[in-house]
Amino acid sequence: MRFADKKTSKKDPFAKQNYRHGFSFSTDNYSHIIKPGLSKKVVEEISHIKQESQWMLSLRLKALKQFEAKSMPNWGADLSEINFDKIHYYLRPSDKQEKSWKNVPAEVKETFEKLGIPKAEREVLAGVKAQYDSEVVYGSLKKTWERDGVIFLSMDEGLKKYPDLVREYFDKIIKSGDNKFSALNTAVWSGGSFIYIPKGVQVKLPLQTYFRINASNAGQFERTLIIVDEGASVHYVEGCTAPNFSENSLHAAVVEIVVKKGARCQYTTIQNWYKNIFNLVTKRAYVEAEGEMIWTDFNMGSKVTMKYPGFVLAGKAARGETLSMALAGEGQHQDTGSKAIHLAPHTSSSIISKSISKDAGRTSYRGLVNIGPKANNSKNTVVCDALLLDSKSRSDTYPINKVFNSKVEVQHEATVSKIGDDQLFYLMSRGISEESARKMIVNGFIADLVKQLPLEYAVEMNRLIDYEMEGSIG
Amino acid sequence: MTNNEQIQITKDKEKRIKIKKSGDYLIELNSKGAEAIISGSFLVNKSNDLNINLIIHHKAPNTRAETSLKAVGKDRARIKLVAKIVVDKNCNGVNSFLTERVLLLSDKARAEAIPDLEIESDDVKCSHAASVSSISEKQIFYLMSRGISKQKAEEMIVEGFLEN
Repeated sequence: MRFADKKTSKKDPFAKQNYRHGFSFSTDNYSHIIKPGLSKKVVEEISHIKQESQWMLSLRLKALKQFEAKSMPNWGADLSEINFDKIHYYLRPSDKQEKSWKNVPAEVKETFEKLGIPKAEREVLAGVKAQYDSEVVYGSLKKTWERDGVIFLSMDEGLKKYPDLVREYFDKIIKSGDNKFSALNTAVWSGGSFIYIPKGVQVKLPLQTYFRINASNAGQFERTLIIVDEGASVHYVEGCTAPNFSENSLHAAVVEIVVKKGARCQYTTIQNWYKNIFNLVTKRAYVEAEGEMIWTDFNMGSKVTMKYPGFVLAGKAARGETLSMALAGEGQHQDTGSKAIHLAPHTSSSIISKSISKDAGRTSYRGLVNIGPKANNSKNTVVCDALLLDSKSRSDTYPINKVFNSKVEVQHEATVSKIGDDQLFYLMSRGISEESARKMIVNGFIADLVKQLPLEYAVEMNRLIDYEMEGSIG
Repeated sequence: MTNNEQIQITKDKEKRIKIKKSGDYLIELNSKGAEAIISGSFLVNKSNDLNINLIIHHKAPNTRAETSLKAVGKDRARIKLVAKIVVDKNCNGVNSFLTERVLLLSDKARAEAIPDLEIESDDVKCSHAASVSSISEKQIFYLMSRGISKQKAEEMIVEGFLEN
């Protein structure tokens, strides 16, 4: 009974009724389902199943204590509905990492088929790791990258194969005690990606991962570590979808990135969790001299998202950039933003945030710009634009600018507006229906950010916005 | 030392409010047509603190506010400007603008600029801007090339910055 509580999906009669996306299957074939709830025993069990070394177990247990000691953050979105005792902390669909597509279980395959993963992977992508619940089941990496020494594994594999490299950076950029949810993640993490790009290697096609939550109450606690060595560059894309379940699920990931001297890393997230999921993510990059970190962050799904990807500009002339887009509809709260920490001279950063609220949705920009005493000649620009589509919706901006240095330029700008009647009138006078005109204006509002995405995602993004805007005339 | 002030502005009234010292300020625009022009200019030197906490609360439609806070930090000054625009539900036709500008003249001086927005109506025009910087070398150079000493040039720029 410890491992096989196989009733999960049958407990939930609403799963089928509210079903909209059509990609949901029962989880009877899971090889391990640990009973819901969190305790020292659960953490030890996860570590034992994964056959981890002692240091990881100690780290997990230390993090569990920190998690228990910390109170829930009350400064942002409403998190009172999360019930930690009801969450499954570990799920694994099949026993071992599948090497070839043929061996992937049929129902897992069907889910992926509907997401269009196999085709996309064969034709365009450099490497795809498809995450079905807590473990990476299928993955491949094109041979060219392998020759260059690029490592792209699931975090669990990475820990087994490159224990020293993982140990050197794991829990260093984001300490387990950073916040309640980073502590939770460190205690029960499972899955996620481990990427190492060797010196001078330019990975031209984006590396991609698909994340899926597919069991009710399945908490996903991915842990991602990306190390971009000197002069190397990489673009990593994570995209998310999740089917409908009526109980609230929790997603608390941690992403740590090290950008070494002169290296470049772009991390793109397209977050479209189903609208009952709490998405509480901690992401941070440590950038050395002349390095560059770019976060492209699109948040459209989930019930509540709290995510503030940050960069610590630790080396001279390091650069950071965040492009953040949030869309909040009925019952959603997108509390997103970015953190720019300048520690070294001549560092520069920019944060551009665009948010759209509709049907009583709420978007909040929350940001921190901190320019330290040694960061002379540093520059930062923050621009936040918010679009409110109806009078029930809400938009907030909460920026913090802290400056401990006089030789700096820090600028912040924010505006809140709605679709102008004059804009609508102009388009409609050209024979465009009101609905299409609204879609055009909204797509135009976020066009600058969408351009930063790889092509197939940009197309998807425009379609998604169109879909979300459908029937929005009230 | 903290100052606590609440100001209510009623129908079709326009009020000019000057903020002169640290403290908590709440400015409420209670009924249609109320208008507030809020300003504050500060020169903070030695190891003095400036701590302004301002809320501009729009409680009725068609209310307007224009807020401008400016501070110059010298020596070991600590400056904290917190200002928030709040627009309640069903308050269409609100126009509210907020700027926070800080000039830092010493490396020991610190500044925190926090401009917040909380908007619950859609037919509004609201924006805020904040900046923290030092005096630009170009401005100093220009004045010095006109035969003005560096110190005098700085004084002139600070004076111009604070004056409006």
